[in-house]
Amino acid sequence: MLQVELAGLKLRNPLILASGILGSSASLALRVEEAGAGAYTTKTITRDPRPGYLNPSFIDLGIGYLNAIGLANPGIDDFAEELDLMKKAVRIPVILSVGGGSPEEYEYVVKIGAERGADAFELNLSCPHVKGMGAELGEDLDVALEIIRRARAASGGRPIFLKLSAHYNYLGLAEEALKAGISGFTAINTLRGLAIDVYARAPILSNVYGGYSGPPIKPVALRVVYELYENFGKVPIIGVGGVDSWVSALEMVLAGASAVGVGSAIAANGFEIFGEIIEGLRKYLETEGFRRITELVGLAHERSV
Amino acid sequence: MHLAARIESIINVTSTTKVYRLGYRGPSPGPGQFFMVWIPRVGEIPLSTADYEDGELLLAITRRGRVTGYIHENLRVGDRIYLRGPYGKGFNLPRGGDKTLLVGGGAGAAPLLFLAETIRERGGRCDALLGFRSGDEAFFLEEFKRSCGSLFLATDDGSMGSRGAIPDVLRQILGERGYDAIYLCGPEPMMAEVADLVRGTGLRLEASLERYMRCGVGICGTCVLDPLGLRVCRDGPVFPLEVIVRIDGFGRWWRGFDSRKTPI
Repeated sequence: MLQVELAGLKLRNPLILASGILGSSASLALRVEEAGAGAYTTKTITRDPRPGYLNPSFIDLGIGYLNAIGLANPGIDDFAEELDLMKKAVRIPVILSVGGGSPEEYEYVVKIGAERGADAFELNLSCPHVKGMGAELGEDLDVALEIIRRARAASGGRPIFLKLSAHYNYLGLAEEALKAGISGFTAINTLRGLAIDVYARAPILSNVYGGYSGPPIKPVALRVVYELYENFGKVPIIGVGGVDSWVSALEMVLAGASAVGVGSAIAANGFEIFGEIIEGLRKYLETEGFRRITELVGLAHERSV
Repeated sequence: MHLAARIESIINVTSTTKVYRLGYRGPSPGPGQFFMVWIPRVGEIPLSTADYEDGELLLAITRRGRVTGYIHENLRVGDRIYLRGPYGKGFNLPRGGDKTLLVGGGAGAAPLLFLAETIRERGGRCDALLGFRSGDEAFFLEEFKRSCGSLFLATDDGSMGSRGAIPDVLRQILGERGYDAIYLCGPEPMMAEVADLVRGTGLRLEASLERYMRCGVGICGTCVLDPLGLRVCRDGPVFPLEVIVRIDGFGRWWRGFDSRKTPI
């Protein structure tokens, strides 16, 4: 009923743990699987270790969350061992989120990831708060395409998703990325934001700028997913951004997402959010007379008669 | 968002620890819970609550790094400290009739004071064993004496109380007195020794753990305990003995800000 196929990946349901959330260890991957997720995305891994930014690196705004973790990670050589453990710990697909400062770095991380059995890759070309990485690379079409080509060559034929930002010309990038052989899109990354404390009279995050996530960004995510579907039809889309209930998950699917990322919602709802969404989707399919969730993908695009 | 809390008093209790009393109007913390403490333009660190009553929050801040050093050197009465929290699951209070011992090493005494005060307010009584490197570093002794039945002291150099490490003194005390429950906080190698000591005796034990933290609400994964997938900030920071004995590397390593395993 809820099974989906995503560029060859078989998922027991369309829920994917989004990158940057609880993506650092096999023990967390297992907890996410037990909670019900259909796939697990690691935190973004770079070639070299990164300590990330100083705290405060996360803040609950009451209307969503702002974070600037700064792509903290142990580097792929160290993480390779964790990836082994993840593959042993869980049966759901493990998607390696890949970051870097150059095409060579992306290529290296993908190569090691492929050797260690990552089921798929997500190229983070959209992190809004790390200079010289993420979104800045996504803005440079030549660099972005070089990253995609190299990643593809190193991937051992496994699916590669491109994680897009809502800030740049994502449709232009998506079109070229498809020609370069990308398997699908993840949309969207967090939005570039800022928070100020009026008594401190200062930005809260040590990095000043951060990535805005949570339910308030859902309309933006829906727009991007809808446009991608409108333009590229059957290309698999993982819809991410503000999903915190079965209703918002379904909105993503109706806009054109084949799978749905869940991230910040865990802060408010705990691991239980996966089970709650799955239960809600099941009931919806039954009461609305659908046999499979796949029948609903992109259904909002049908024009009025 | 953070809540601004004004510093009402500062007491230099030792050369390395200061106790800050704050006016605080947020949600009430329980013993064992913690706050993310932000000093604008400096940094943010997790800190346990040393006591709380009617809008007065007590923080015992031991100098350890950049942020605690800044607080010690620069913050004065009237200045603000910015808090978010309280976070995490704190101590489960002892069951009525339980003979209870609190065991604290160094800065680990702070959250246990809040627990001792809470037990006393509920009409209970506990004993405490506190360990410090030397008598100069001992703090909260008067407060513990007021809240507890017996107070045992251990110092590494013997300058106050018994000479020796906490586990040595604890071994003696446990032989002499029949306790039902132990509450533990302090340096992790010490806690690992105590956990080993208590294991298999049938004593209930809860310990408050420390890890590098970022979000404080259980989504970044920085403070994960392997192989359990438990997050110190949200599933803890207080865990029972049964959990603690299953933590990989307990007392030996934890994950740094880049998630790499780092010796404690």
